[in-house]
Amino acid sequence: MAQFWNPSHPISPQTQRMLGVGAVVVVLVAWALVSASGLVNSNRLPAPWEVAMAFSRLAWDPVRQESLLLTSVLWSGGRLVVAGILVILIGLPIGILMGASPRINATLSPLIDPFRSAPIVALLPIMVMWFGIGEEMKIVFLFSGAVVYLIPLVRDAIRSVPQSYWISARDLGATPWECIRRAVIPMAMPRIVDGIIIAISVMWTYITVAEYVNAKEGLGQLIQNARRFSAMDQVFAGIITIIALALITHRLMTWAKRKMFPWEQSV
Amino acid sequence: MTSTPSAASISIHMSGIVQEYPAANGKGVLRVIDGIDLQLENPSINMLLGPSGCGKSTLMRMMGGVRPFNVKTPTQGRVDIDGQECLDQHDDAVTVFQQYANRPDLTVWDNVAFPFTLKLWKGRISQAEIKERVDTMLAAVGLADKKAMRPAQLSGGQNQRVALARALVLRPRILLMDEPFGALDPQTREEMQRLLLSLCKANPCLVVFVTHDVSEALALGDRVIVLSPQPAKIADDFAIHAEHPRSEAWSRSTETLRMQDRILTSLRDAKGHGQITLSV
Repeated sequence: MAQFWNPSHPISPQTQRMLGVGAVVVVLVAWALVSASGLVNSNRLPAPWEVAMAFSRLAWDPVRQESLLLTSVLWSGGRLVVAGILVILIGLPIGILMGASPRINATLSPLIDPFRSAPIVALLPIMVMWFGIGEEMKIVFLFSGAVVYLIPLVRDAIRSVPQSYWISARDLGATPWECIRRAVIPMAMPRIVDGIIIAISVMWTYITVAEYVNAKEGLGQLIQNARRFSAMDQVFAGIITIIALALITHRLMTWAKRKMFPWEQSV
Repeated sequence: MTSTPSAASISIHMSGIVQEYPAANGKGVLRVIDGIDLQLENPSINMLLGPSGCGKSTLMRMMGGVRPFNVKTPTQGRVDIDGQECLDQHDDAVTVFQQYANRPDLTVWDNVAFPFTLKLWKGRISQAEIKERVDTMLAAVGLADKKAMRPAQLSGGQNQRVALARALVLRPRILLMDEPFGALDPQTREEMQRLLLSLCKANPCLVVFVTHDVSEALALGDRVIVLSPQPAKIADDFAIHAEHPRSEAWSRSTETLRMQDRILTSLRDAKGHGQITLSV
């Protein structure tokens, strides 16, 4: 136990995997036991095998010859990709400009920072009024939810670059903007990409809300629809799918980041 | 391989330099430099020696380096480089800082070639010459075999070599050194000092070297300018006539010990000055 309460004591990958998998297995077993005991109505908590069945039904419906799950994933994923591209195209430059110039930051931060703690979900009715109940509204909603995270993160990434990089480039004859573009931004890139990863991850948490209103397809709609018919097994399947996709996206982006900045790991 | 105008005719002339900062409590001003006149000439190594925070870096930055952003520099007085008033950074001056600020995503070679990718230098020098200059510089600092590596794979001393090469590749007439070896261990520091001397021999320039280390001042300086604690005045200013690199025997000689004593005495005596001057 000497190393139990030591945050910097490393544990082996095997131990890490064992503990992680173990925790999941324990929860699954507890869940199965609760369901099998009949203590909780399956309308409230479906059994793991019921959820598994729901998964297989959603994955392939032999009657309708379609995979509702796949269609939903593609729709939700598509909305996420479109909103994500917009978030990066718009949030990244704004964050960089705010980080690069205290004047721009002083001007824009009162307009952006409060929304990070504001309940974006509460803005949904306004967005419905402004953008209708179609795709546009859903994209705008996802975009708003994520961009208010990305902008401050990018700004802080820029501002946390030691000023010696700016000064050193300036000293070598760089124009002030060249200092930003050629010295500060490259240094901030890993943290900027961290910000993008967080913003995209946040979007997965908003996808159900975005698809609450009048969606004909998508995982949020799938959950919403299942809830209406009290099909708790399908609700669970939908939620698990979103969690899994969020996890996979996160892993993929982290992996891509490592490939993009191999120099960062060796520091 | 000649820099124009010739390195042999450099001069930095400072007169009546006063530097004040707004005081930390918001009232009045803090005077860090209190009337300095200084004339530096010709390729030589000039050591600015003084206690930490005495304003020696600020003084050096006025000699063509990047000036502090938040305050007019200098508050009073005038700096001339080659007889022309120098109001901001100077193209012929390059600074080496203690933080080497190498781009971690670029290779050693690209870091040294970095200045030439800036608008200011682009087009002034042909690609072939850039390649030749960078290769020569890397060989001179002993990193020819490390040119494909990235900064994270290098030691602190090697990173400082990259920064030094990146500065000298521009063939500056004025080289400003802002406690560049302060963070290095003693052996590496000594190596870097020897390297600097050999580089200066190959590319003569006017070096202004800020340090608070008396032995470093004695090992490198052709001239040692001792500044008093804040507000800084020139406490002492003398030349050292000894061959570079200085021998072990020289550094143990009575003459050297006397110089060391002289520096320490003038630093001690200067302590009598008030630490803070408040006006307005």
